[in-house]
Amino acid sequence: MDTPLREPTYLILTALAREPMHGYAIIGEVAALSDGRLSLRPGTLYGALDRLTDAGLVELDREETVDGRLRRYYRLSPSGASILAAETERLRRNVEAATARLRARKAQALTPRTAGGLA
Amino acid sequence: MNELERRYRRLLRAYPPDYRRERGDEIIGTYLDVAGPDRRWPSLAEAADLGRGGLRQRLRAAGATDLIPGVRLAGLLALTTAAFLAGFWVFAEQQLPPAEAGVPVFGPFVSVGIVAWCGWLIAALVVAVAPGRPARVAIGVALLMTAAVPAVSVLAGVPRPPLLVLAPMVALGVLALAVDDGLPVLARVLPVTAATVGGFLSYAMGVGAYWGAYRGGGGEFQPPIGTVLLLVVLLLAIGLGMRRDARGGWAAMALLTPVGLLNVHLLAGAVDGLASGAPRPTYPTMVGVALAVALLGPALLPAAVALRRRLGTPSAAAPCPTCGRHR
Repeated sequence: MDTPLREPTYLILTALAREPMHGYAIIGEVAALSDGRLSLRPGTLYGALDRLTDAGLVELDREETVDGRLRRYYRLSPSGASILAAETERLRRNVEAATARLRARKAQALTPRTAGGLA
Repeated sequence: MNELERRYRRLLRAYPPDYRRERGDEIIGTYLDVAGPDRRWPSLAEAADLGRGGLRQRLRAAGATDLIPGVRLAGLLALTTAAFLAGFWVFAEQQLPPAEAGVPVFGPFVSVGIVAWCGWLIAALVVAVAPGRPARVAIGVALLMTAAVPAVSVLAGVPRPPLLVLAPMVALGVLALAVDDGLPVLARVLPVTAATVGGFLSYAMGVGAYWGAYRGGGGEFQPPIGTVLLLVVLLLAIGLGMRRDARGGWAAMALLTPVGLLNVHLLAGAVDGLASGAPRPTYPTMVGVALAVALLGPALLPAAVALRRRLGTPSAAAPCPTCGRHR
């Protein structure tokens, strides 16, 4: 699987990090994790799950039938967990770097400048 | 089974039968969960989602999963080429014929084609600053404007660029619609850079008589552009192929139609035979060759997918990726 992960892929893996979930629950969790910005449709979700399963990042956990509807639960595989951890670390470093730069910029803007410069 | 479920199942036919058997109930169940109890019809977006999902699965079953990323790559190259040509033609449009020639013009421009070329320049800008839906809309508008030029020319009685200039732009535009939403910044600025280079080149050539070459069908200018595009995509195909990435190969195949249309002058010259060391094809031959390229080119991709499926389907014998069952 190519890294950096695309945002939907990253959020699907994040959703599955807590516990195994079925498709509908993953859609809801991804929407919640992205503050409603990302709304996965089932066709897109199952395509992504197929790719993640092919890459060995996601595994089938169990099957259930609820109200006559088949539900398959998916879980994060060990290699899925390590890819998610590596990607999260990469993003964390980026966030830290950006936060430090923005703080420095804000501090610079607040420092009063001497009128007339060096003259 | 209620009416909504029946309608979802009808749309699910976009998927291959094997996949439908394995995953159909699960996908439909999720759609019904998402839809809620009062819905009777699938939305257009859901129909498109199922259509896309079905196409992806069919390509996967044929061992052609790289096709869609390949077409997206071709989309970027097509848009870059279209922007380059538009930048070039915008300046060529300002090279008016001498008044004594009595050739009709479109205000201060050679033809109504200026509107379409400006549409492509705007599309290149939108791709750079607002990728995704706005970019696709801008490309769609530029494409429609280009395709509408012949009809506008007839209805309004204004001059237009030659069909052999418009046809490759339409083919490039159709492919450009496939451009990826999540392009990195460097890739997003490629079309607008190409448009600037095209404009500078046209300005540098600064030929007062260039309107003649333009009206002559771009016979001298378009073939080199088509050849450069072909070389670039072939180099990409070789480079990516060395990393076992088939995107470049699919991109090359997708670009054969616009490359062929840009090279109609040369191809038709080869059909008619060479005279005086340069291709001198007749107009009927050029039209015939353009039609052949426009009809055969788009058939190449599905033919290649079918051939790949026939030669060997690596995924056919593999277990279902999700449930692990053998089909």
